[in-house]
Amino acid sequence: MFVIDTHLHTCLSPCAVLDMHPAGLVDAAIRAGLDAVAVCDHNSAENVAAVARAGRAAGMAVIAGMEITTAEEAHILGLLPDIEAALALQAKIYSLLPGRNDERVFGPQVIANEHAEVLGFDEHLLSGATTLSVDRVVAAIHDVQGLAVASHVDRERNGIIGQLGMIPQGLALDALEISSRTTLPEGRAAFAPKGEFPLVCASDAHEPKDVGKAVTFLLLGEPTLDELRRAFADKDGRAILGGGRPMEDLALHILDLAQNSIEAGATAIEIDLLEYPSADRLIIEVHDNGRGMDGEILAKATDPFYTTRTTRKVGMGLSLLSEAARAAGGKIEIDSKPGVGSRVRATFQYHHFDRAPVGDIETTLMVLLVSHPDLDIRFKHCLESEAFELNANILRSSGANLASPDGLATLREAIRKGEAGLGRPSVSPRLHS
Amino acid sequence: MTVAEAAGKIQGTVVAGAACAATREVRGGYASDLLSDTMGNGREGDLWVTMQKHVNIVAVAQLKSLAGIVVVNGRQPEEAAVARAEEEHIPIISTQLPAFDVAGILYSQGVRGRRSA
Repeated sequence: MFVIDTHLHTCLSPCAVLDMHPAGLVDAAIRAGLDAVAVCDHNSAENVAAVARAGRAAGMAVIAGMEITTAEEAHILGLLPDIEAALALQAKIYSLLPGRNDERVFGPQVIANEHAEVLGFDEHLLSGATTLSVDRVVAAIHDVQGLAVASHVDRERNGIIGQLGMIPQGLALDALEISSRTTLPEGRAAFAPKGEFPLVCASDAHEPKDVGKAVTFLLLGEPTLDELRRAFADKDGRAILGGGRPMEDLALHILDLAQNSIEAGATAIEIDLLEYPSADRLIIEVHDNGRGMDGEILAKATDPFYTTRTTRKVGMGLSLLSEAARAAGGKIEIDSKPGVGSRVRATFQYHHFDRAPVGDIETTLMVLLVSHPDLDIRFKHCLESEAFELNANILRSSGANLASPDGLATLREAIRKGEAGLGRPSVSPRLHS
Repeated sequence: MTVAEAAGKIQGTVVAGAACAATREVRGGYASDLLSDTMGNGREGDLWVTMQKHVNIVAVAQLKSLAGIVVVNGRQPEEAAVARAEEEHIPIISTQLPAFDVAGILYSQGVRGRRSA
C-alpha cells in the first residue's frame, strides 16, 4: 500500500514559495509520511528531473507531471511515465503558451537543482493559459502515454466545473482530483455519484507545510505510472483504496491509531466510532492487545515531538488527535498496560464549530483490511440508534480473500452498504472559491 | 469619467484602491472572465468587468495598466486580492449587478470597448 500526494508544485511555479526547491519538496514529503509524490508545476517540467534526483537520494519515489492550463483556464494534471515524456510534453506546451513572465507581477519562476541551488529563471508565462482546449490538453497528455486528471474539481477557480460549468461528455479524463477543501464522501456524492471517474485526493501544495495535506492510498506493486494506470482502471489487483486529509479527517486519525496499535504488535483491534448528534457527542475508541505503554511513554504520548517510530514521522498522531478533540470541546484518554494492550478514547462535541469532519471510513477500513490480511479487526459505527458492524474474521471465514480483486470489490461493497445503512443525510455539491 | 464615478453609475462599492479610484480616468471597457483573454485584449485605461475575484485579477490589471476592476453579481473579491490591490493601487469595484447590465450602463455613459468606434 502506498500513500501518494499526486499534486505538488516546486519553486518553478510562480505562486509557490522558494522553500519548495526540489530537495525541500522531498524533505517535506518525507516528513508527511508519503511513499511517493508527483511533481506538477504549471505548464512546465523544468524542475522534474531535479526532484527525481533529490527523491532518489532520499528514498522518495517521484512521478513526473505537469499541471496544464487549458484555453478555458481549467487546470488538468498530466501524470507522466518519465522525464523524457515530461520534456516532450513541455516542448509542445511551450510552443502553445503565449507571453513572457513579469516576475514583479506574478512572482519568480525558479529553476533549481537538487542541492537547493538556483540555476536560472524560466521566462515563459507559466501562470498564463495555453491555446489548447481541454480536450486537446487531454489528448496531448495521452500522446505521451500520460494520465489526465482534472485538478481540484471542487474548486471554482481553475477547476474544470468552475470554468466550463460541467465535465464535457466524452472527455477522456483518467481521474478527478478532490482538493483538501472537500472530504472524499462529499467529493464522491458531488462529482462521481455513479463511479463515473476514479477520484484521487491531493494537496496542490505550493509550500512545504501543505505537502500531504490530502493524500490517496493506493494498492500498487510499485509507485510507477504504469501501476497508477492500472489502479485508476481497477485492474490486475491494483486499486485506489481511498483518500482524505490525514491532519483533519477523523477517519484518518482512526487509521493512524490503528497503525500505532499494529506497530505495538497488536493482533486484534476494536474500533468504535459513535456519533450521537442528539446528545452533541462523537466518540472514537480504539482498543488493542498490543504491547501497551508504561507510565513514562504514556506521559509523552500526546507530546507532538515524541514518537516511538523510527521509520517516519507520523507519530504525531496522538498529539494531533488530542488537539482536534480539545478544539471541539472534548478530550483524549489513554489507558494502557504494558503487555496487555491500549485503549484510546477521544470525545468531541458533535456540533462544535471546530469539530473535524469524519471523512471517509471506507478508506480507513480498506487500507487496514487490505494491508493487514491476518489482523482481527472489529469495527462498529453508530449514528444514533443505527449501527454498522464489520468483523474481518467473519468476512474472511465466509471465504473472501481480501487481497484478491474480487475480495476488494466485495469488501468495498460491504462497507458502502453498511455506511449507507446509517442513513446519513446526503450532502449537496458545492464549489469552493 | 473616473473609476469612482463609474462605481456610482453601476451601483457599486469601491472595495480597494479608493484613493486612486477618485482620480483615475476610465478610458475604455473590457468584459471577460478569462484572465488570459484580458491579458491578450485588455488595453491601458480599460475598466475590466469580470466575475473572477481571486488575487490574479490584480496581477492582470497591473500588467495591462487597466483603470480598475469591476467584480459583478455581488461577488466579493478575496482578501488577498483586496490587499494586493491596495498595495498596487488598483481600484476594485464590487456590484450586485450582472456583467450585462454593468456593460450596458457604462456603454450608455460613453465608455467603449473599441476605442476607434
